[in-house]
Amino acid sequence: MTDKRMHKIPGHNDVKWDDKNSDKFRGDVKETGIGFMGYDYDTATEQFKVFLHYDQLYYWKYAEVSKLGKGFVDGEFWGTKCPKCGDKFFPPRVNCWNLDCNLEKSDWIKLKEEGIVHTFTIAGWSGKSSLKRLPFVLAYVIVDGCNTAIANELRGIDPWDAEFGMPVKVVWKPKDERQGTVTDWHFEPADGWKPGPMNAEKERMKELCQPVIEWVKTMK
Amino acid sequence: MSRKVCIAGGNATPFDYPMHITPEAMAANCIVETQKDIPDFTLRDLDFMVYSHFSVHFGKQLCPEWVIHDHLGLVGLPHVRIENGGNTGGSALYGAFLAVKSGLFDCVGVYGWETMDNVTQSQGSEFIALASDTRYEALAGGIYPIYYAAMAYKFMKENNLTEEDFAMAAMKNRNYAADNEKSQFYRSDYTNPDSPYYKKTLTIDDVMESRLISYPLKRLDCCLMSRGGAFALVTSEEWAKKHAPGNYVEIAGAGLSSCTIRAGDRIDFPGWNEMYGKGYPDMTEFAACRRSGEVAYDMAGIEYKKAAKEVDVAEIHDAFSSSETQIYKALHWANTDNIREFVREKRTFLDGDVPTNVGGGLMGYGHPVGATGIMSAVETMYHLNDTAPKKHLSSKTYVKDANTGLVNSHAGTGTSISNFILRRP
Repeated sequence: MTDKRMHKIPGHNDVKWDDKNSDKFRGDVKETGIGFMGYDYDTATEQFKVFLHYDQLYYWKYAEVSKLGKGFVDGEFWGTKCPKCGDKFFPPRVNCWNLDCNLEKSDWIKLKEEGIVHTFTIAGWSGKSSLKRLPFVLAYVIVDGCNTAIANELRGIDPWDAEFGMPVKVVWKPKDERQGTVTDWHFEPADGWKPGPMNAEKERMKELCQPVIEWVKTMK
Repeated sequence: MSRKVCIAGGNATPFDYPMHITPEAMAANCIVETQKDIPDFTLRDLDFMVYSHFSVHFGKQLCPEWVIHDHLGLVGLPHVRIENGGNTGGSALYGAFLAVKSGLFDCVGVYGWETMDNVTQSQGSEFIALASDTRYEALAGGIYPIYYAAMAYKFMKENNLTEEDFAMAAMKNRNYAADNEKSQFYRSDYTNPDSPYYKKTLTIDDVMESRLISYPLKRLDCCLMSRGGAFALVTSEEWAKKHAPGNYVEIAGAGLSSCTIRAGDRIDFPGWNEMYGKGYPDMTEFAACRRSGEVAYDMAGIEYKKAAKEVDVAEIHDAFSSSETQIYKALHWANTDNIREFVREKRTFLDGDVPTNVGGGLMGYGHPVGATGIMSAVETMYHLNDTAPKKHLSSKTYVKDANTGLVNSHAGTGTSISNFILRRP
């Protein structure tokens, strides 16, 4: 008898990938592996330095969380819910976090694409791949009454107008651009929401954002 | 288990970005410097080595501790590497503490390092962000300062604080670092004619005017990316008494605790609801700091509400000025009602009752992740064994008559946190 809390693992030859899109967004990115690009030498201090470039393609398998990725491509939000205690998760947890539920396997449930901002910040600096998007609001949102909050970008708003507790909706990328990741969607203010009036704090945030906006304009 | 565990000695290298020295040479330098404080100590005394290193991405070398271990001539000696995010240093100390406490070993070396200057700062930020949940957080453009800012902003609102209140720690730690020639602030700013902070005593305005990183954090509210190494010798009390009299300190308390990887998952977590009441820690408090602090206080016999009075000197994980402030609360030094006054009365400055990060902290000394917690322990030790005046440039940053020290090391978004109580024997 298999314990129903166990996750199913497909057989060795069972996964055929009948819907292949592996190079859909690759562009001209090549997998080059390891390579030395050059070197520098400082004569006075006798210091030598080499330049190494390394590039690797990964295969991230969603496995038992695959419903999430397929849902994103299809424009659907799938979370999970524990049948025992009722806690609701987005991002999904496939076993309940409650120790008394003893790794109860959770059920997949379709979530409403709406939520409430729990907290947020205005990013003025980020990793290399996100610099051109600055300044942006990163919000932690409780989606459809879940017991967790998920981080994503809040757009369609002047950054300094974001508010704690504001209602937001999910906005999808065009279907053809979706990759099955959290970057397939972002948050925007719920229909009918209006920002509060400018105040000293918002003016301060706006002032802090201006050099960032100018800096991003200078990027290629 | 009544066996006492001690830190017999230790040292850190300078921290800087960039800096031109290999991890194995940094280890050798640290051990040579430790021998200046403990002339009796030789490599032959070591029973076990615990290596502390966060990210193999920076060196593009798996098992980099193997390079160091044989460089030091230690073949045959057992070794492990501990990796636990920003709390790698604290976790390695914890591992060494367990090893000695168990009675299996008497003399354990702990060496930590990081080489973050191998990549650009924005690439480095992305590497570190790989310790957040990459599937949900790093992809959304998040890096640690952004996650911390989102937590800090809510904390600021709910505790009636301002940006200027956070800026106090940023100003304090960098100004103390100006008295520590190994610190990154001293090397790359205070003595660097090209820096806007050359020979400058920083003010709150300097912090407020620095560029936005993620509201409410500005550049000077954030710690530094660094290359650096640090070494501590964790021993039995017998070993310390025999070989390092006058230099050793006792580890009177040690706690390690954990929290969620994603900050958004701790607003209603059953484990915390059960321990501290529903809704704690939310996204504002560091529950793993509170828990590991309480474990360390219990072991050392310190009453929580008297902690700020009992602790004479502390080195805590100021990855951000806001997190230093949040840690004051997690360690029971302040509460929602008085945190504002606690900050404004400068209780953690040298003249206050719990001088904190007088070695410079992560914002002033630097944050080469694997070395950081060990540096914090060593800097705390310098006050408890009265070597601070010769380790620092002057005795301005020496906390006299200190008997009890606290060392804090912190990872992720508060995902793993350790606290230690050190005592003058």
